[in-house]
Amino acid sequence: VPPVGSAGSNRLFVPERPLMPEWVKQARVHLGTQNSNGVSGTRSVPDGGTLVPPGIANENPSDGFAKLLFDEVRNVNQMQTTATNNVHSLLTGGDVNEAEVLTSVQKADLAFRMLLQVRNKLMDAYREIQQIQI
Amino acid sequence: MIRALDISTSALVAQRTRLNAVSGNIANISTLKNEKGEAVPYQPREVVFQTDEAITTSGASGVKVDEIKINESDPLYRHQPNHPLAIKEGKWKGYVAYPNIDLTTEMVNALESTRAYEANVGVMEITKNISRETLTILA
Repeated sequence: VPPVGSAGSNRLFVPERPLMPEWVKQARVHLGTQNSNGVSGTRSVPDGGTLVPPGIANENPSDGFAKLLFDEVRNVNQMQTTATNNVHSLLTGGDVNEAEVLTSVQKADLAFRMLLQVRNKLMDAYREIQQIQI
Repeated sequence: MIRALDISTSALVAQRTRLNAVSGNIANISTLKNEKGEAVPYQPREVVFQTDEAITTSGASGVKVDEIKINESDPLYRHQPNHPLAIKEGKWKGYVAYPNIDLTTEMVNALESTRAYEANVGVMEITKNISRETLTILA
């Protein structure tokens, strides 16, 4: 899965705010809207201080929620591909059991709905944070 | 949660196999020769199920077809001396060997297998619904 919104589309997200939860931050790092070197949270404020509590900058973005999310995207994609292939072989007279084919379709559907809900939750949280006034 | 769907699917596949065996038995109810053309009446197939440990979730297991056993019981003999396949000598001289298939038993098996299939589809429906319901926690 290629990173969404690489260079040039940074306006997809507003600059980070201090109270952004860690998982949103990690997801943003993974989405390529920030540098992945871990210094994303250290944006300077006008008075020269940083907004990030110590410890956050050292976190590995490949672990945790972002990794979970992207692994899940891959899994769901895999399930959808399997389901499509199964349906194809069912419709073209392949030696497959229709119960198994329909179950794989249903599983792919459920997994996708789950992912969609997680994505919706993430976006809700993100919008909530976006509206925080300082 | 999704593993529960797999368990139900394994049951669907197994019951489907059983139903296929019943179809074969009923289709061959008057088959007097085997696949090699010998005068051996068809012997009914019986499907044996086994728990499938490969499909397991929290103690529940799926089911798989262990083997399709051939019922070795004696054929039914009917006295038809003029039949081309009538037995020429011995105890059953003048008789024709027919498959030992009881249509009533086979129909009951088919019905039972259908009911089991329906029950498993019902369980899948429930599993599907609770999965969907669960997602609304997050929504």
